Amino acid sequence: MEKVDENKERAENKENEENKESKQNRETSERNRIVIPIGPQHPSLKEPSSFIITLEGEKVVDAVIGVGYVHRGIEKACESRTYIQNLYLIERVCGICSHTHSTAFCQGIEELAGITIPRRAAYIRVIVAELERLHSHLLWLGVAAHEIGFDTLFMYSWRDREKVLDVLAEICGNRVNYGINTIGGVRRDIDSEMMQDTLKMADYLEGQLKYYLDLVMTDKVLSARLVGIGKLSREDALKFGVVGPVARAAGIMDDIRIIEPYAAYDEIPVNPVTDTHADVFGRTVVRIKEMLESLEIIRYSVKNIPDGDIAVKAPRRIPAGEVISRTEAPRGENIHYIRSNGTDMPDRVRIRAPSQANWQGMRHMLQGQYLADIPITIAAIDPCYSCTDRAIVVNSESGTEIMDWQGLRQYSIEWYKKRGIDVSLVKMPERKFYA
Amino acid sequence: MQAEQEIVDRLCEEFPFLKGRVHVQRQKRIFTGHLVKEEFEQVIRYLHNNMGFYKANHVVGTDEGENLGFIYLLSNKEGIMLALKEIAPKSDPKINSMTCIYPSLERHERELVDLFGAEVQGLPEGPSYPLPDGWPKGNYPLRKEWKPEYFDKNTMTYNPPDAGNDKGKR
Amino acid sequence: MKLLEKAINWATRKSPWIIHYNSGSCNGCDIETIDALTPRFDLERIGIIQQGSPRHADILICTGAVTIQTRDRLKQIYDQMPEPKYVIAVGTCACSGGIFDGCYCVMGGVDSVIPVDVYVPGCAVRPEAIISAVQKLLDTIGESKKKRDSNAKSLADSMNNNNLTRGMKNNTENNAENNGQDGGDLCAS
Ligand code: SF4
Repeated sequence: MEKVDENKERAENKENEENKESKQNRETSERNRIVIPIGPQHPSLKEPSSFIITLEGEKVVDAVIGVGYVHRGIEKACESRTYIQNLYLIERVCGICSHTHSTAFCQGIEELAGITIPRRAAYIRVIVAELERLHSHLLWLGVAAHEIGFDTLFMYSWRDREKVLDVLAEICGNRVNYGINTIGGVRRDIDSEMMQDTLKMADYLEGQLKYYLDLVMTDKVLSARLVGIGKLSREDALKFGVVGPVARAAGIMDDIRIIEPYAAYDEIPVNPVTDTHADVFGRTVVRIKEMLESLEIIRYSVKNIPDGDIAVKAPRRIPAGEVISRTEAPRGENIHYIRSNGTDMPDRVRIRAPSQANWQGMRHMLQGQYLADIPITIAAIDPCYSCTDRAIVVNSESGTEIMDWQGLRQYSIEWYKKRGIDVSLVKMPERKFYA
Repeated sequence: MQAEQEIVDRLCEEFPFLKGRVHVQRQKRIFTGHLVKEEFEQVIRYLHNNMGFYKANHVVGTDEGENLGFIYLLSNKEGIMLALKEIAPKSDPKINSMTCIYPSLERHERELVDLFGAEVQGLPEGPSYPLPDGWPKGNYPLRKEWKPEYFDKNTMTYNPPDAGNDKGKR
Repeated sequence: MKLLEKAINWATRKSPWIIHYNSGSCNGCDIETIDALTPRFDLERIGIIQQGSPRHADILICTGAVTIQTRDRLKQIYDQMPEPKYVIAVGTCACSGGIFDGCYCVMGGVDSVIPVDVYVPGCAVRPEAIISAVQKLLDTIGESKKKRDSNAKSLADSMNNNNLTRGMKNNTENNAENNGQDGGDLCAS
């Protein structure tokens, strides 16, 4: 507790200093400020969002972030659908971490109804959750590599991701939105053939991941693009309440699987992965190491899965009450608040997805960065992929210029090339594993 | 359960008005009853300054009939989550922003403005979130009396049928 | 048909450029669309390139139900594309609004805003189905309207006859070409 206060104080002091500094500079700088609205992004992957970025020369002085382009009104719709219908709706809050959302929702309902799911079902939930983490992190790795112009790694990691999707499709029957959870357990059992395939995939992936980790840790060009970018210190991370890999990269052990074990995590050993870099590099390393940890969890659960039923019967009407359910999504802590009123429809459902928490620190991360570092900084919290939308560069002197996300990405790659850092020239070292 | 009970005891000792209005729901979960603005602010400040609830995870808005409820989810290092509830009448839905002590709440409180029509005083300026541009004023979609059926998305207007035949939920 | 038009159609058929827009999806269909561009499926090998500006695009791949906020943006993108232009609605949401139909910020399917040429249902759509949809679309480019309609009908028939719940067990070493073919029964024009 004391530590937290101390940290806070330090952070505040720093802020005051910064304020003083900026006041002095304000006079001179106001004249050559440029405001750039970016977006609303077309995110090939995640939520569209818009940024209004104020530049001074090439440095970012402020960033205003607007999200909400895919606000669909799911929470209201939940109130007029039954619990079972809602399960499938909530799974589609996000196509990438669908399993986490449906797990959190099911857990909440099960708690309200007072049912305990069979152990086997809990283990299956864990296996699918970890497979999901693998595919999400691999996806992120590819996206981040793409943003810095390292398309080789992009293609590599997405190819490996297919292996994970194959296993997911085999276990759940679908590549995305698995639909395996149900209130009271899971819908499909896992057989020995599936387990064999899962273990085979784990062995293959382990080799690949170690290879990527090695690459990221040793390559000088990559570290030139990643180290020191998008800093969010431990104090600030606590202040802005960021979660998941972003917090863990700042040295905060914030993992719901350990803090508040759910499903079968109370029996499965989970080693926390943290890092002290507190920048994009740290986030990359944390994610890769987390994947290795996920493989261990998968191996353990496949070996130790108990026999038995996979689901118990759940009532259609859920007794009145309220519940807060938490899970660890690939992007961090996911919170569901559910209130029931005794009917077969919930009274209120509130979903706090992890990205929502991470946006909070974004503004801080962007301040003081070069324009060229914006794409990777934004990508590093894992919110969105690219933007085919136009961004308008408003320059008070030369009028209006048009630029899009792709343009910004290109600009960033060229900017670094001019300084002798060309990621696309990075040679993938010899590797021992090949599909 | 001991740590949770200790927190409850300490709170009740400090704030006599909390007696009987705060309970441990289960392990790592503490719920309070609905507090009015003045009570709420004392408690949240105390929790932040003296009891190590360093992190505000979220604010949940709820519709309590005549009133609006706001559930602040706070957590401490041990992962104990405390749901602190505030209440304000719909006729005068003013609450004070807690971003001064928990900067992480900014976006969540902004949502309350758009979706519930709460007036959050002291919220830093910024773009509205998450409703689309051009959303008609005075329409708060997450209030219970607002029904999506009556909302015309093309003209962006809300046309409820005449009062009287508007019976209950669908 | 004018000569110039013929030439354009011929060129489009050989190497169409696609632009992808998310009008409010859950990301499921988006990642599958990107997936179609990566090594396992590799759309580029049949000359399809994804790029950023609508002004250079021939095909708009649209995923997700249209939300109020993205509606105008979608129209804008469509208007900016040069003729001839085609739209593929990817995913159940894009076809009809899907599971989000009735939400207060959702307009409905893509066709509630712009005309759609190919509908690809599925939640999420498999990359094979997307590839197949593009292929089917390319086959119809340059055909007369009548022929396209009859094509659509026969496709719809074949879809009805086909068992849509194919075994999901996917061979790990599956090659993309096979996938491309058997994904075909999932899409209708
Ligand atoms: S069709 Fe399914 S996967 Fe695709 S965007 Fe809609 S809900 Fe998501």
